[in-house]
Amino acid sequence: MKKPASGLRTLRAVLWTLVAVAAAGTLYLTYGTGRQQAEAGEAFYAKPFSLVNQDGAAVSEASFLGKPSAWFYGFTHCPDVCPTALAEMSGILEALGPDAEKLQVVFVSVDPERDTPEVMKDYVDYFDARITGLTGNLDQVSAMAKDRYIFFEKVPVEGGDYTMEHQASIQLVTSDGRFFGTLATEEGIDVRLAKVRRLIDQG
Amino acid sequence: MKTLLTTLLLLGPAIPAAAHEFTVGDLYVDHPMIEEAPPNAPVLGGYLSIANRGGSDDRLVAIESAAARKVELHRSSVTDGIARMQQITDGLAVPAGTTVELGDGNHAMFLDPDRRYVAGDEIGATLVFENAGRVDVVFEVEKRSAESAASSHGDHAR
Ligand SMILES: [Cu+2]
Repeated sequence: MKKPASGLRTLRAVLWTLVAVAAAGTLYLTYGTGRQQAEAGEAFYAKPFSLVNQDGAAVSEASFLGKPSAWFYGFTHCPDVCPTALAEMSGILEALGPDAEKLQVVFVSVDPERDTPEVMKDYVDYFDARITGLTGNLDQVSAMAKDRYIFFEKVPVEGGDYTMEHQASIQLVTSDGRFFGTLATEEGIDVRLAKVRRLIDQG
Repeated sequence: MKTLLTTLLLLGPAIPAAAHEFTVGDLYVDHPMIEEAPPNAPVLGGYLSIANRGGSDDRLVAIESAAARKVELHRSSVTDGIARMQQITDGLAVPAGTTVELGDGNHAMFLDPDRRYVAGDEIGATLVFENAGRVDVVFEVEKRSAESAASSHGDHAR
């Protein structure tokens, strides 16, 4: 497109800069003060939950401990943010090469009423068969999200349909369930890859 | 330079994007495209740009397609780390002398497509403008690119 160099666009740029500054601050807190700080992160990814994976099998928090992981919370009725995030995660898995084995990538549906295990299976397989898709009932997903400080909310739209507002970032988690940091939607792939590599190095 | 120009002119018609434009009145609709989605995907995101080369404002009020249960215009954004999506109920303004995009935060959402569409497929649709009226267009289905997707969908037509 030639250029909608509109004020809106400038505003967006300014906002993204602010987000980047905030992210850099978070990064500093997470990494800048060293290993100590990261290890001191709260282990809220070790809190109990019970959901089902894309094959319909029951899973719990224990299923994902013991290996670093990357978590994304979204829904299949999302035309851009969610498929983009998953496409990017599959790009990261690819770029990791054999090291991809050291990372678990998990996509949790925040719209379990529509996202059955069957729907989730086709969805994650399309991006990367190594991605795990989780769903369950609304109470189970809500409880997990609350424990992990993940925001999502159902928003009605005209004509009886609804959409979901949801956390846009990917959460990085250590093998013992401690919060390690986030991958933000506006970061370049190389920045994200570097963060994921640091996560894998630290375990 | 002259050779280059000649070459470009000769190549011109062979470049699909260059030919992928639709016109109604003073409105030029460029490169309608849809991003390939997973099998069973309940929604498809559609993108295009509209240049209004005339002297009066117009408005894209609807998109119709036999390939979907319905098509809605949406504005999606990520603010404070939260992904939000809003239906655009009053249409998309296309002021005189400007180019606006469905992309870069806006998209056409094709709900419940009638079958699986993959890269290379085409999806027919009709754009309905307040003043210029109706124009039939073709959305080309393209592979999702992880690289360009990150920043903005507007990139597809850049
Ligand atoms: Cu989404």
